[in-house]
Amino acid sequence: MFLALKEMKKEKLRYGLVIGVVLLVAYLIFMLSALAQGLSGQNTAAVNSWQSQSIMMSKDANGNLAQSMLTAKDLPVQSKQNKTDRVGLAQGILKVGDARQAATFVGLQKGATIRQTIQLTEGRLNRGDHEIVLSDALRRAGFKLNQEVKMGMFTDHYRVVGFAKAAFYNMSPVVYGDLSDWAAIKGVNSEFVGSGLISQENQHAEKSNEQILNKNELFNKMPGYSAQNMTFAFMIGFLVVISIVIVAIFLYILTMQKIENLAVLRAQGIPTSYLLKNTLAQTMLIMLIAVGLGTFLAALTGMVVPMAVPMQFDPKLMSVSAILLVLTGLFGAIIPMRIIAKIDPISVIGG
Amino acid sequence: MQKLELKKVNKIFGAKSNQVQALKEVNFEARSGEVTLILGPSGSGKSTLLTILGGLQQPTSGEVWINGERFDGKKGKAADAFRLDHIGFVLQSYSLVPYLTVNDQFTLVDKVKKTGQIDKQTFQGYIDRLGIDKLRHKFPGELSGGQSQRAAIARALYANPDFILADEPTAALDSERVAEVGQLFKDIAEKAEKAVVIVTHDLRLREKADRIYQLVDGQITIEKS
Repeated sequence: MFLALKEMKKEKLRYGLVIGVVLLVAYLIFMLSALAQGLSGQNTAAVNSWQSQSIMMSKDANGNLAQSMLTAKDLPVQSKQNKTDRVGLAQGILKVGDARQAATFVGLQKGATIRQTIQLTEGRLNRGDHEIVLSDALRRAGFKLNQEVKMGMFTDHYRVVGFAKAAFYNMSPVVYGDLSDWAAIKGVNSEFVGSGLISQENQHAEKSNEQILNKNELFNKMPGYSAQNMTFAFMIGFLVVISIVIVAIFLYILTMQKIENLAVLRAQGIPTSYLLKNTLAQTMLIMLIAVGLGTFLAALTGMVVPMAVPMQFDPKLMSVSAILLVLTGLFGAIIPMRIIAKIDPISVIGG
Repeated sequence: MQKLELKKVNKIFGAKSNQVQALKEVNFEARSGEVTLILGPSGSGKSTLLTILGGLQQPTSGEVWINGERFDGKKGKAADAFRLDHIGFVLQSYSLVPYLTVNDQFTLVDKVKKTGQIDKQTFQGYIDRLGIDKLRHKFPGELSGGQSQRAAIARALYANPDFILADEPTAALDSERVAEVGQLFKDIAEKAEKAVVIVTHDLRLREKADRIYQLVDGQITIEKS
C-alpha cells in the first residue's frame, strides 16, 4: 500500500483522471439501475403493494390482466376464499376540464383485502361508487382532492377522495374505485363481473378457460416489461465490462510507464509479491474512491431529480452494486499484475 | 570476513550458430574492507558479471559463493530475500523511483525488511557525506544527475548489505564529485567492513581501488590485488 499511496499522492492528475472516468461509469451504472428500478416499479408497484401471490384471469387475455374479462359463470368457487379479491381493470383516460391523463382503473369490492393494503398519502378510501382514490402521481399532475373527474367510457363524474402511493400498474397511474363502476368505465355490459381474481395465497385453475399466474409471471406478461428490463440489464452489464476494460487499460499504461522503476526495485530485492500487492491495493483504492464518489453523486442526483423522472434509488441495491463494481474492477488489475510478475530486473543493468 | 566469489563461471547466451559467450572461465573475488574495480570496454561482459554477482541471473556453468554459501542455485523468493539482506545495487540512470521522495526511497526497504537495517546515526553520517540531507524531501525529478546518483548510493546503503554492487556509479558526476564518491566507497569498505564492487570504465576511480580486474571479451584478468 505504501507505494500505491505515494504514487497516487504524487501523480494526482493522472490518478484523478483514472478515478474520474471510473466514477462516471459507476455513476452511469447507478443512474441506469435507479431508472431501471423506477421504471420497473411503475409496472409492478401496485401489484407488489397488494401482496399478491397469484392472479387468476381468462386464458384468452394471454396473461394481460387489463385485457381479461370474467363472467359470473367463470368465477371459481375459490373466489369466496379469504384474501382473494375480484378486481376489474380498465385502462382509460382520466378527464377534468381540458386535461387528459392516461390511467388504469382498478375496481375493488367493498370488503376487498386489497383495500387494506392501499397506502394513502392524503384523504380517505372510497366508500361508495362514484368515489375514487388516485395515484400520488396524479396529484403531482395537477389533480386535487374533492375534484370531479370523468374516466373512460363512463359519462358520470367521480369525486376524488384520496391519493395513494405505490399506485402504478403497467406504466400508468392507478385509479382505485368501486368494482360496480368497472363495467361502465370499460364500456362492457353487466354480463362481465371483473378482470380477474387476485389472491395473497396460491390459487388453482378449476376451469379450462382460466389461467393462473404468479406475480412474476404476471409482470413478465405485461407489454414491454421484459424488453425494458432486459435492455437495462444489458446496458448495465456492458457498463460493468467497460469499467473493467477502462481500469485494465489505464493500469496497463501506468504499469508500462513505470516498468523500469519496478525493475530497479526487483533488482534491489523487493519481492514480486510486494509489488503485486501494491498494484492490487492501488486498484482497490481507485475503485473504492471512484465507486464511493459515484454513489455519493448518484445519491445527490436522487435528491434533486424531478419526481416526474421514474428513478428509484434503493440503498441496498446500490450497496450491492457498488461492492460488485469494486470487485469486478479488480479483474482490471490482472493484466498489469501479470506484467509485473514477469519483470526482469536485468533489464535495468548495463546499457 | 565477507567474501563474494565466482569460480570458473561461464555465461553463454543464445544457441548453436547464434551463441555468444559473455563470460569465459571467470574467477573473481571481492572481500569486505576492499573496493574492487572491474574495468572494461562496452560489451566486455561487465554487466553480465554484475548481474551474476547480484544473483539476478544464473551462470551457464561455474559457481557463485557468498560468505561461504552457494548463491547460484537460489531462485525466486529465496534469491530476493538473499539479495535484500546481502546486496545493495547502485545503478545508472532511472534508478530512483520517481514518485518517492529521497527519504521514501530509503524507508521503502523497511516495508519488506523488518530487521537488519543500518543504524540511524551511521546512515546520517553517510547522508551528510553524500551531501543529500537537504534533499530528503525532494522527488527525483527535482534532483540533478549527480544528486540522484548520490541518493541511489545512500539507498543501497540503507538496507545495510554486506556487498555494494555499483554499475557505473560515477557516470553522471563531475571530477570533484567522482573523487568524493570514490572516497566514500573506500570509507564504506574500510570503516563499515563492506565489500564494494564497482563496474566502470571511469579510470578516475582506479586510485581508490584495492583490487582491480580487467574484463575484455568475457575474459577476466587481475591487474591489482
